[in-house]
Amino acid sequence: MDKEQIKKNAEFLMKELPDMEIPGVAKIRCKYKKMVDFAKCFGITDKKYIGSEEEGIIACPAFANSYAVKAFYTLVPGVKLEQDGVKRDLALVPTKLLHASQKYNWENCVPIKPGDVLIAKARFGKVWVHEESMRLFAQMFLTVKNQNDELVCQITAGAAIAEGGY
Amino acid sequence: MPKISDIKVGQVLRSEFDQITRELLQKYAKSSGDTNPIHTNDAIAERAGLKGVIAHGLFSSGFIIKMLDDFVGKSGKLIELDIEMRGMVRVGDTLITEGTVTKIESNRVYLDIKQTTITPVEIKKDGNVVKKFEAGERGYISEKDIARNLIKTKEVDDGTLTYRERVAAPGHVIIELNK
Repeated sequence: MDKEQIKKNAEFLMKELPDMEIPGVAKIRCKYKKMVDFAKCFGITDKKYIGSEEEGIIACPAFANSYAVKAFYTLVPGVKLEQDGVKRDLALVPTKLLHASQKYNWENCVPIKPGDVLIAKARFGKVWVHEESMRLFAQMFLTVKNQNDELVCQITAGAAIAEGGY
Repeated sequence: MPKISDIKVGQVLRSEFDQITRELLQKYAKSSGDTNPIHTNDAIAERAGLKGVIAHGLFSSGFIIKMLDDFVGKSGKLIELDIEMRGMVRVGDTLITEGTVTKIESNRVYLDIKQTTITPVEIKKDGNVVKKFEAGERGYISEKDIARNLIKTKEVDDGTLTYRERVAAPGHVIIELNK
């Protein structure tokens, strides 16, 4: 891809993406075993996170990694773009797409229990290009609630796409 | 369990993890649902130009959360975590997580976070390589690492260890302690 096309694509994405709602919702079922296995990856031994199903547990806060990734994998393919009459994906070369940053906010949030069904919605935030490297950065906001419409986590993810990947 | 009055600006929390293996990345992939094969399959990672599997971008953040959750215990909760992923984390790396208290306001504690990877490359004795680690075998060390002075040496039992030390993830955290 030549420099002119890269610049044109960057300008298109910087115009189209900011504040765009990503269509659809992602539903994530939280299973006891997945929650416990996840916690054990980090050597967590606290019974409130890895205790028996009968005693009842909650998800360790790091479990946000799991539902964030599942939500993005579900929602991002739903981003439909059309540039100069041609349909295109956000990243043209998926291997050039990198996860650059992540922010979790649990203010006024409830913990996750086994059996909960999380519902995630996303929208884009700021989109910009680092002119020296021509790397494109996109902010995505994800709101995650449980089946009772209670807030579970608010996530801001930063994606970076290297030159030639968009 | 900590009380807000016990915490001081400048206080440092620290944890170290040196058990990053392919098996652990596979377990993480399965339980997190992030099944991108660049994290679990060397051949696919090599085809993507990575020279070998890399840990999931969010994998190491789990150790930040664990360190803080262990610290807070039943006395409070995590409010916010904000991290930037700067350096790839790989099998064989030692992950050092440090949190420095920068501000205390009411019952909230603000910390700067720094996650550093120590990547062993090789051990030399009398000019000969006596042990080569994965980073040395697979060529994880780049010219950029050398130019940035990230390559260091230290004396260990078997000789002189060459390793790379770099910041993988800087960030900020807010925790809240019960009143």
